[in-house]
Amino acid sequence: MSLRLVLRQAPALRVDARRLQPKTLAAVSADDLRRMTLPHGRDEVELGEWFDVLEDGAGSLVLQLEGDLARFDAIGAGLAEGTLVVRGDVGDAVGLGMTGGRLLVEGNARDLAGCAMRGGALEVKGSVGDLAASALPGDMDGMSGGTLCVRGNAGARLADRMRRGNVTVFGDAGEFAASRLVAGTVALGGRCGAHAAWGMRRGTLVFAGEAPALGATFVPIESDADVFWQLLARDLARFGAPFDTLARRRVARHAGDLAAQGKGELLVPQ
Amino acid sequence: MRLNGVDVDDTFAEAFPMKATRLVITAHDATWAMHAAVSATGFATSVIACGCEAGIEGPVEPEATPDGRPGVAVLVFAMSGKELGKQVERRVGQCVMTCPTTAVFAGLPPEAGEPVPLGRNLRFFGDGWQISKMIGGVRYWRVPVMDGEFVAQESTPVVKGVGGGNLLLLADDTATALAGATAAVEAMRCVPGAIMPFPGGVVRSGSKVGSKYAGLIASTNDAFCPALAALAPRTEIGAGVRCVMEIVVDGLREEDVAAAMRAGIAAVIGRGADAGVRRISAGNYGGKLGPFHFHLRALAEGVTS
Repeated sequence: MSLRLVLRQAPALRVDARRLQPKTLAAVSADDLRRMTLPHGRDEVELGEWFDVLEDGAGSLVLQLEGDLARFDAIGAGLAEGTLVVRGDVGDAVGLGMTGGRLLVEGNARDLAGCAMRGGALEVKGSVGDLAASALPGDMDGMSGGTLCVRGNAGARLADRMRRGNVTVFGDAGEFAASRLVAGTVALGGRCGAHAAWGMRRGTLVFAGEAPALGATFVPIESDADVFWQLLARDLARFGAPFDTLARRRVARHAGDLAAQGKGELLVPQ
Repeated sequence: MRLNGVDVDDTFAEAFPMKATRLVITAHDATWAMHAAVSATGFATSVIACGCEAGIEGPVEPEATPDGRPGVAVLVFAMSGKELGKQVERRVGQCVMTCPTTAVFAGLPPEAGEPVPLGRNLRFFGDGWQISKMIGGVRYWRVPVMDGEFVAQESTPVVKGVGGGNLLLLADDTATALAGATAAVEAMRCVPGAIMPFPGGVVRSGSKVGSKYAGLIASTNDAFCPALAALAPRTEIGAGVRCVMEIVVDGLREEDVAAAMRAGIAAVIGRGADAGVRRISAGNYGGKLGPFHFHLRALAEGVTS
């Protein structure tokens, strides 16, 4: 038995929604859930104020939220197990620091989507704002595990300081994509803004879409990496277009950012 | 039991649990993959003094390898997981990484067993320029080398294999013994999951446990030595037998060893007694030491003459 929350009216202020977790809510009845509160400004407001709470036949450990939840922040923050599905937009920091489980957003997300992720799978069918898969302010490293998949576009600073994990964006990415990348793999299907991989230390950035203009601190590598390219391209192919043809294409590589540690690579399929 | 004139002894091969793993070596073409596999499985005939028993299981078609290049599957067996880990790391480091254009992958799924290092400690050869990559939940190491990159999966799982399946072929003379053994090994090479670790798959110096010399763990199997037929306390050599050859088989599973032994038996019976191998036997220790018993007559059942 799982629960479905359907938004009836939007809150006046932003709401921290991290208490909505599939695991904790699995043990809660619909009545108790209507009385559960979330922080709203200086107050705690009952969920029943904003949502209709319905029971659903979907499996246990599945929590569904429906409606325009763009004012709800930190949805799925710290998610460790279970599935959270949002049929609508979400606010900032969706999936913040999640360590496991599956979080699906069928709309758009605002900034900081997947920030400080450590594991699990976050998929956004729409677009995300700035600083997706990035680091919490003050942290040395950002996302350290898991996968983020964005079917739409991403704003600026995608995967900033990412330490480990996989980020795949089907659409365009804004400027400073994969800036200060520590390691991990970022794959872009569309266009890319200026200053891609600025300060990249290690890691891989794949441009499956339009090849970007590369700065002077990125240099071409004239050497074979066919084995690695096949392993990576075949893995990306499971996402479908525009990644499905990568394995058939040759790849040009660039090393950088030579201004930072410089052991990263930019892959530009030909 | 006599099939096609060949006597099949009412006995069994006694085999033991071993720790095993499968590696898949790929390269620019099948020739270079084979060079690496031959080198890596050399000097691996017996755990008595080689550390492991290893052999080539067979080629892997490009469609079936992780990187789409031609490959060779290799099986390695050792007495302990620790020794297996040591042998795998050494052989891959010295014989696979060194061979032009190779890459090496685990040949078993990760859930098959506890991992031992494959590329994990070879990464230091990259002297700081090595790259770690997680792809599909599996970690690979990329080591920069003179022909580009050496890619190695981080670890390979260890499974409980079976070692010491065997066939003893008693023949008229050396030439016919060799011909029979060669035909048997050729048939056994087609069985997946099994290898015959001795040179050409055949051992002429079959051993028994123990020796008159303190400290020697194995010595010549005098019961099957034609020269000692009249001298040894016990002999299996009957009239007309001038040469005996042994084929040892290790397999990932009990059924792989059984299938290989059955294929070898079938090959010998198929040639008929007049080809020179007139009797098939097997070695055991009374059945008290090894948990796996391969009864020859049960395996020969259904082999058509």
